[in-house]
Amino acid sequence: MWQRRAFLKAAGAGLVAALTPRSSEALQRSTLLFASATQEAPGQYGARVLTDRGETLLEVPLPVRGHDVSYSADAGRAVVFARRPGTMAVVFDPAGQAPPQMLTTPEDRHFFGHGTFSADGLLLYATENDFAAGKGKIGIYDVAGGYRRIGEFDTYGVGPHEMLLMPDGKSFVIANGGIETHPDYGRAELNLETMDPSLCFVDARDGHLIGQLRLDAGLHRLSIRHLAVDAVGRVWFGCQFRGEGEPPQVVGFATADGDIRLIDLGAEEGGRLAGYVGGLAMSRDGETLAVSSPVGGRVLCLDTRTQAVVGGLDLPVTCGVAPDAQGFLATNGKGMLAGLGDAADLQRQFAIQFDEHLRLLV
Amino acid sequence: MRIAIFAAALLLAGPALADPTLPATDIIAGAVDGYVRPHMQMFATDSARLADDFATLCTTPTAAAATIVRDDFKTVVRDHAGIEFLYFGPLTLGDRSASLLFWPDNKGIGLKQVQQVLASKDADAADPAALAKKSVALRGLGALEFVLFGTGNEAIDSGADAYRCAFGAAVAVQIKTLAATLAAEWLNDGPDGPRAHMLDPQPDAADYRTTKEVLEKLSGALLVGSETIRDQRVSPILGTAEGKPRPKSALFWRSGMTVPALIANFEGLKAFFLAARFPEAVKGNMWIASGATFEFDNAIEALQKLDGSMEANVADPAALQKLKYVVNVTRSLDTLVGENLSGALGLTIGFSGLDGD
Repeated sequence: MWQRRAFLKAAGAGLVAALTPRSSEALQRSTLLFASATQEAPGQYGARVLTDRGETLLEVPLPVRGHDVSYSADAGRAVVFARRPGTMAVVFDPAGQAPPQMLTTPEDRHFFGHGTFSADGLLLYATENDFAAGKGKIGIYDVAGGYRRIGEFDTYGVGPHEMLLMPDGKSFVIANGGIETHPDYGRAELNLETMDPSLCFVDARDGHLIGQLRLDAGLHRLSIRHLAVDAVGRVWFGCQFRGEGEPPQVVGFATADGDIRLIDLGAEEGGRLAGYVGGLAMSRDGETLAVSSPVGGRVLCLDTRTQAVVGGLDLPVTCGVAPDAQGFLATNGKGMLAGLGDAADLQRQFAIQFDEHLRLLV
Repeated sequence: MRIAIFAAALLLAGPALADPTLPATDIIAGAVDGYVRPHMQMFATDSARLADDFATLCTTPTAAAATIVRDDFKTVVRDHAGIEFLYFGPLTLGDRSASLLFWPDNKGIGLKQVQQVLASKDADAADPAALAKKSVALRGLGALEFVLFGTGNEAIDSGADAYRCAFGAAVAVQIKTLAATLAAEWLNDGPDGPRAHMLDPQPDAADYRTTKEVLEKLSGALLVGSETIRDQRVSPILGTAEGKPRPKSALFWRSGMTVPALIANFEGLKAFFLAARFPEAVKGNMWIASGATFEFDNAIEALQKLDGSMEANVADPAALQKLKYVVNVTRSLDTLVGENLSGALGLTIGFSGLDGD
């Protein structure tokens, strides 16, 4: 709650004044705020800030399709990254007080759709593609310097996707999906035979590699793509299978001291994920993980301590998932926002389509 | 066709077929009987001729016999361009698609493997049974093209390089065998055949669970086809991201078949679109069908004006413009055969990208 109060304080009276009476009321009532990239109409893209009751507080138009949103309370800004192989990101004030600001990659890089702010909100980091070399990079942008790009680190892999700042605030964990793409080839995958996915821990201060973890060699076509950190600092990851035949398990966890493993969700629940995890979210207490599969039309909730499935929701083409006050919220590509667990009563149909990630802001 | 997982992006749920006057079974039967079966059969027949003529060439090498084989190859390339987008059923099994054509190959892995085999005269690679267990990059049209048109290809005309001929003949047997398998599976009229599965989907089936899913696969093939032409064939030649055209990133540049294969791609997509009777199925929205056929024709017409090598084409501003235009046509087709056709059929394209995000 302190975060919300800080948010409201930062937004000041101006926010309330700028909002319509209905939005203002919605903001006062809500406890949590979320953001997601959207398709507002065919070919028209945007991002929205939503309350935990499904009310829209802010709409940010985007010239291209967005992907994930990252937020820094210290910076007072959120950023929505273009979907790969997009080269732009839009920084916006979730309180709607400051005009949006666009930033772009250098010409020889593009975004993968994910990134994170530093703990102090002074720097913004994004996973990027050095496509001429076929190598993953972390682009570093200076918030106070107008989001000027001031450097880059290696991701120590190919095709990085989601990156998170670890709870220590000093290191990143990066999902190197292992799939090589090049903007001249659109979204075509260029190296399925030689994929080498890995999970890397990288020092946020100087970019040195702290540790690189790989699954068994037989799983080299299992692309590690999305991440969430639990209460004891384990990094949970979700995969997408690019091999042939029956998919393996697609959810696992890793620890900073070098353990990495897939967990067995059982044939029934594991099969529901259809070899494709689209997003992960950790509950606010760090004890329950939600995993979404747009292919399977399923969200699973796992107890991170026992690794048992403790809940689920059938929702076609669901991908976005984020922790709510108690349970989780999930969105789908058909404009549905639905609750799980203690939020199960919430079901709201929008006339837009939600893109792949739903992010809890405050 | 490695972006083909996109076909799975099509949704399962949505409103019923917009036009009940054309039953879904007519669309499915039209696609299978009017396009898939005859084209798979043609691919098999022409591939068999290529393999037979190749064997003859190796037994009695002459320039005339080599010309016949090169012409056979060009025919098979055109046939393949007409079936490669049929990414549902038999072609999706195992590594079939990649072993017919290992592409995209921006690092030239296929070329390196073929050159290595030719240099080492690897006996296994010239034995069809042993070759079947080797890398997909050695078993398809790309490998065969290098044998017939790459550096040193004259040696097969004269018989000076018997190994090169034998390797080429073994590759041709691979293609012939796989093409025959695809045709036989598609022609299976039994209850286990793909036609029966598509016409009578079952809730617990591994391939098609609902009629809607079948229609999504069929219309999805058009979208995959359009995307593949753009992302894997034309855009790499333009080299926009790195600021200069790369004519040697063109598929089949050695045999001069880049443009003919692209034309055959678009002709195939158009013929499939018509055979599946999509224009009748969306007749309440005639603009979709007329728009799609207009764009197929635009692409074909633009490509027909390109002659000469790909090197020459990218050096000629007018020709380069035509290639850029083809990219724009595929974008328009994405909307027409993706969003518009699916929407009119009551199918919904899933917005969540299922191709790795």
